[in-house]
Amino acid sequence: MSDAAIFDQQAVADKVTGQSPLHHLSSSHKTEGVVLEEVPSLGYLTLRGDANDEAFRAGVHKALGLELPVQPMTLLQSDTVSIQWLSPDEWMIVCPGARCFEFESALHEQLSGHYAVVNVSGGYTMLTLSGDRALDVLYQSTAYDVHPRHFGTGKAVATTLAKATVFLRRPDDGKWELIVRRSFADYCWRWLVGVC
Amino acid sequence: MTQPNRLAQGGRVNRDRPLSFVFNGETYQGYEGDTLASALLANAVSVVNRSFKYARPRGIVAAGAEEPNAVVQLGASEAAQTPNVRATQQALYDGLVASSTNGWPNVQRDVMGLFGKVAGKMMPPGFYNKTFMAPASMWMTYEKLIRKAAGLGRSPREQDPDRYEHFHRHCDVLVIGAGPAGLVAASVAANSGARVILCDEQEQMGGCLLSTTETLNGKPANQWLSETLDHLAANPDVLLLPRTTANGYHDHNFVTLHERVAEHLGDTAPEGMARSRMHQVRAKRVVLSTGSHERPLVYANNDVPGNFVSGAISSYIHRYGVVPGNQLVVMTANDQGYRCAIDWYDAGRNVVAIVDARPDADGHWVKQAEERGLRILKGQVVFDTKGTKAVQGAWVSAWNAERFALTGEAQLLECDAIASSGGFSPVVHLAAHTGARPVWRDDIQGFVPAAVKGQLPTGGCNGVYPLHQVLADALDTGITAALDCGYEASRFILPEVDDLVESAPLALFEIPHTKATMRAPYQFVDLQNDVTAAAIELATREGFESIEHVKRYTAMGFGTDQGKLGNINGMAITARRLGQTIPETGTTVFRPNYTPVPFGAIAGPHRRELFDPKRYTALHSWHEQRGATFEDVGLWKRPWYYPIGNESMHDAVSRECLAVRNKVGILDASTLGKIDIQGKDAREFLGRVYTNKWEKLGIGKARYGLMCKDDGMVTDDGVTTCLGDQHFLMTTTTGGAAAILEWLELWHQTEWPELEVYFNSVTDHWATITITGPNSRALLREITDIDLDRDKFKFMEWRQGTVAGVPARVYRISFTGELSYEINVQADFAMHVWQTLFEYENKYGLTPYGTETMHVLRAEKGFIIVGQDTDGSVTPEDLGMQWCIGYDKPFSWIGKRALSRPDTSRRDRKQLVGLKPLKDDVVLEEGAQIVLDPNQPIPMRMVGHVTSSYFSPTLNHGFALALLMDGHNRMGEIVFMPMPDGQVHEAEVVGTVFYDSKGDRQNV
Repeated sequence: MSDAAIFDQQAVADKVTGQSPLHHLSSSHKTEGVVLEEVPSLGYLTLRGDANDEAFRAGVHKALGLELPVQPMTLLQSDTVSIQWLSPDEWMIVCPGARCFEFESALHEQLSGHYAVVNVSGGYTMLTLSGDRALDVLYQSTAYDVHPRHFGTGKAVATTLAKATVFLRRPDDGKWELIVRRSFADYCWRWLVGVC
Repeated sequence: MTQPNRLAQGGRVNRDRPLSFVFNGETYQGYEGDTLASALLANAVSVVNRSFKYARPRGIVAAGAEEPNAVVQLGASEAAQTPNVRATQQALYDGLVASSTNGWPNVQRDVMGLFGKVAGKMMPPGFYNKTFMAPASMWMTYEKLIRKAAGLGRSPREQDPDRYEHFHRHCDVLVIGAGPAGLVAASVAANSGARVILCDEQEQMGGCLLSTTETLNGKPANQWLSETLDHLAANPDVLLLPRTTANGYHDHNFVTLHERVAEHLGDTAPEGMARSRMHQVRAKRVVLSTGSHERPLVYANNDVPGNFVSGAISSYIHRYGVVPGNQLVVMTANDQGYRCAIDWYDAGRNVVAIVDARPDADGHWVKQAEERGLRILKGQVVFDTKGTKAVQGAWVSAWNAERFALTGEAQLLECDAIASSGGFSPVVHLAAHTGARPVWRDDIQGFVPAAVKGQLPTGGCNGVYPLHQVLADALDTGITAALDCGYEASRFILPEVDDLVESAPLALFEIPHTKATMRAPYQFVDLQNDVTAAAIELATREGFESIEHVKRYTAMGFGTDQGKLGNINGMAITARRLGQTIPETGTTVFRPNYTPVPFGAIAGPHRRELFDPKRYTALHSWHEQRGATFEDVGLWKRPWYYPIGNESMHDAVSRECLAVRNKVGILDASTLGKIDIQGKDAREFLGRVYTNKWEKLGIGKARYGLMCKDDGMVTDDGVTTCLGDQHFLMTTTTGGAAAILEWLELWHQTEWPELEVYFNSVTDHWATITITGPNSRALLREITDIDLDRDKFKFMEWRQGTVAGVPARVYRISFTGELSYEINVQADFAMHVWQTLFEYENKYGLTPYGTETMHVLRAEKGFIIVGQDTDGSVTPEDLGMQWCIGYDKPFSWIGKRALSRPDTSRRDRKQLVGLKPLKDDVVLEEGAQIVLDPNQPIPMRMVGHVTSSYFSPTLNHGFALALLMDGHNRMGEIVFMPMPDGQVHEAEVVGTVFYDSKGDRQNV
């Protein structure tokens, strides 16, 4: 537990309607061989800490029910939560928006010493890309090598999407996840639709 | 329509698919499979252009990328205009329209030709820099005239209707060039399991196999070629890219390929298809199997249409069934010329003579020619051409190579085509793009690529020419590439080819004339840039000894040509004049692009709305609906002002300003940079990066902070709040958000890694809604559970609670000088809060305002904008912000040392002051220069400039902030701003706070 000031930032769902960064565009785009969709309103937590600290790893495991990935560019996931390795001391946790504060609190309960958990749910949205031609869309969008030989299932990287940044993940064979920043979401969506 | 030079059979064209096309206004017919060049030659179109400088008639010389003359303008419609297209590389399609880029009114009757004839004599090399440089001021005029006369094609004046794509590619082995060498290397690497990309610039893969008569495994080359291509195509890890030119070879094996996806189909691409595609390839190994270019020989009038390089003739015969003439004279210094003559003869046309510069030759192809009874003149050369618009004959003479002189009687051989072959130059252009200078090899009389890690030249590019040797060399290269990439090399069985004996070639570049070079007719070296042997000789006589200087003096190898045919000849001629060897003379640098690339392909999808990212806040759609005009701040789109009806900007801003001062305004401040800072050393870290003190800031409090770079100059500012004892939220300027986060990380990671602190960007997470003005408390009280009592929630404090039912942090800070609250909520819920506030719009006079009003209001209070009132050369003291510097802090914060330099305390530094124009209706121009005496002679001594200037509707007069030399000591003085229109504005130097100088209003 640190002294970080945390509070449940989620508004009560039946009283307040939240808006995703792409609320003004269609949430789904289908063309031959490609399906592009937004998954809005997820919870995002940035986790910082020392991967070499056994207690830290154990604390994360206890709080989220999931191992902390310590291999660079990997993604571990359960039914509710995923953890993406971002750097030797940084991870992105994605969970249902309504459970974000629960996981944030659990992490604070389990962790001690030098670490940080930051709620960044308002700052991101997730796009998914699937279909036979999904790779062609990615070849046009990112300089990172997404060829299946180089980008297997369970891999996740932080890279570029055209002129914006993206957390690019391959949770399973048939789907790519692209986590983009809120303010760049409109640009990223239009770019992807443009090259589909 | 007849095609006089088309053979009845043969070639890879489809005679069942005739295509009609227009060249220079005339309609012709060609076939599917033709290039524009082969179709023009089939139709006996000999003049395709006028030359760049001398306006001489020019015809097609080559069959590939090295073509210097047939550079045409393409496009039937205005929008489809494409300049710089080589006819030899442009596939023919039905309805193609092309025209010459040079020549007015047309290539047959060129007005400039007269000028060329007369003025050409007066335009020796160096003419431009000698004549047009003086006076220098006239250069722009001269340059326009020269450009217009030269005509290098033009860009379209209408919107390009086509789409262009960018692809990022990665592979183990990139093979450039799909001739025999490339095919073998690619096959070996692919069979070994490597990811392979094989690209080739021509319409069909195969390179020289497409026009050879040699057999592979005892069968025509075509069979092995199609089997090999089929095998490669069936491998899912092989990408075959035909019609794809490798244009730039950059560092670390990053290569740009330009794929002409639909350029062979029509003027514009079919629906749903891109016109062309740029592949940005990152490869572990690059195999350069780019082959070689045949060198023409340099002799008098060698530019008259009907002069060819010999291999081009073989290509036209075998690939397109086109023989460009009836009577051929071949001049050669090797056995290649014999192959061309044999192909011509076998096509049923007459070979007048093979003129071999060597005294004797007895190789395989020589014997083949002798068997056909062809006339061979040994020890002789073609030294001049008869004809102007078309070849009418070749002047032939015996010669003495050692004395470099003609001997004996000259004779005229009547003919309509001359082919020459001076040997081969490996295509080293790509290898040289990264800066590696090619290396001369005496044994092949040519430059080969220098050894560069990760780069594997093979075949012709490596100076290996006989087919059986090429295949063996490529096999080795393919194995090396596979092993280098970590694969076990697979077996590959090479096809059997005959080891044909070739007689030794002669190193020959230029041919002597009966007259000395300077007096002889033009002997062209670089046809595209009209560079002659005499020009090079003149350059050396004038003292230009470096090949780089000779190049710039003569223009040899400039522009789109990049010296493909002419450079080696030019170097050899330079070397002879300087009494040097070719390696001593060296080669010039070849630059990307290898052949021109359309701008559309370079831009790709990065155009129009996708040219650059546009960043939007969570409230953007509301601003749009409210009719806001937008201002670009970095990549952000921020509301600038919200005009009502036909309101002018001035009126809208005045209305917005008064609403804030008298009632309440609302601003979307979400773009401010926000950095979450956590850790037990967070407070210490803040003390080191800010100029002011942080150790005593309590939880619930906020403080303004100023940041300097290590040079002591202000770089950013903002309010940082204490959320927990080890938890802070830093705000930065909108433009500084990313740079300041990097700045913090830089100092943490490189200087103070022992401090336990983490920084995380939360800029996009929090939406920030500012309500400001006397009514803001009453407005907020309507929808919040936070106690807003003035003594319980004071200025520079923050509270947590709900606003409109949304969990929020509210900061009582002010950038307007009025009572203000900044409401921060998770961005998804910002619109709900904003709209809820607007339910009270009429009750409290709530008015949305944009960045312009924000600027006026902050300037009235003397609040700076970093980057507008500062420019990287301004210290906190220059700004009069000594109150924001903790000189006695225990740790030496960033910038402290620099602020103790004499320079940062000198009296005449420019300092921030207020300016009040003496006339109330004057609004000074931002950037206006300040002088102390308006009557001094020009150039006046400038002592400062206006940084921010507005009209204040509250004060009802213009006012400004300015940086003024020794400004803090000039209070009450009158300064002057002379303007370009002759007016001189006068203003009084005043303090920077124009409104509510005691700061009462924000504390109410």
